[in-house]
Amino acid sequence: MSHDVGGQLVPGRIPRGQHPFMPWEMRVDALMWVLTDPSRPGGPQMTVDELRYGIESLAPEDYRRLGYYEKWLLSMIEILARHGVVDAAALERRAHEIALERAHAHP
Amino acid sequence: MSIEAGHRDFEALEQAFREMLVAREVLTEREVVERAELLYARTPALGARVVARAWFDPNFKTRLLADGSAAVRELGIEVGTLKLVVVADEERVHNLIVCTLCSCYPRMLLGLPPDWYKSVAYRARAVREPRRVLAEFGLILPDDVAVRVHDSTADMRYMVLPLRPAGTENRNEAECAALVTRDAMIGVALPGAP
Amino acid sequence: MSARFAPGDSVRVAHRGVAGHVRTPQYIRGRCGVVEQVHGAFRNPEHLAYGIRNGPAVELYRVRFPLQDVWPSADSSLDSLDVDLYEHWLEPVGA
Repeated sequence: MSHDVGGQLVPGRIPRGQHPFMPWEMRVDALMWVLTDPSRPGGPQMTVDELRYGIESLAPEDYRRLGYYEKWLLSMIEILARHGVVDAAALERRAHEIALERAHAHP
Repeated sequence: MSIEAGHRDFEALEQAFREMLVAREVLTEREVVERAELLYARTPALGARVVARAWFDPNFKTRLLADGSAAVRELGIEVGTLKLVVVADEERVHNLIVCTLCSCYPRMLLGLPPDWYKSVAYRARAVREPRRVLAEFGLILPDDVAVRVHDSTADMRYMVLPLRPAGTENRNEAECAALVTRDAMIGVALPGAP
Repeated sequence: MSARFAPGDSVRVAHRGVAGHVRTPQYIRGRCGVVEQVHGAFRNPEHLAYGIRNGPAVELYRVRFPLQDVWPSADSSLDSLDVDLYEHWLEPVGA
């Protein structure tokens, strides 16, 4: 599978660029921790293992192309949609609205 | 996937997701913000304190190598459920940490991992040609030093306890901690190196 | 529960082609190494990945492999590779 990369012959040097950590990425990391926290009343919404499996199940081209936190966010949404905790269609609509609002606010 | 992975605004997606979770009372906005701030405050300086303490206190070092999380808590650093394993460099052993399957990293102690640590190139090559990887980072080891690579495939999170640099005999613990970099605690650099 | 293996034991990693979520990297399957440390018992990630949270715990080990055994073209015969592996992926060697 595309995530099991140990020992693959990857040409070229290890990329050394560092992107600045964006607040939304910090929030994705925070969401992961909150949702997987075993000490939550009622237990965690998901486990890190479920999250990893979700990422491993991405199409190979998406796995390679998407950023680290983008993959985590997609995996979290997939799991909670499957559990009926979030409504994927409503989420898509709301995300689209927010993106439009932001585009109008920052043309 | 329920959500299209194509080119999109992930920042908007995160906001919509978080709003929905708050509206459904799965979590609160405050929890997310507090946790994000806590994570942002974690830096390699915490790990450097641990390393320097181990250099100055052999009994602490013994406890650190036996149970990393318990020893770190002695210094007042709360690491939650982190299962920390500290691996010590020796005169003829140099340790290197990687997670080939994803990017596991002791975030509660060292903060967020660098992008290169999460790259497919590092994850693929560190277990196969560690010396060439180290050379790219400017670290050439003598032939009689063994490289020991650790692939964090399970719940353990690994951190390197580097050797104390020569010439630091007259420095105090805080001065020594200032020499310890994140890269030295991953194993791609030596402490005190630029 | 008791651990099947102890530090110093020689073990071989099972050579299974398994679909789904496993934490045994492809590159180490079929290789022989020595148990370095017994980490204790943990829930099996292969169950947790599917939301099964009350499955049986499995023992986890740190196993050391000579790097040249894994990659014959490796630079140095001194180098080694430690991997954390679950008991159900390990078989005894030379019993």
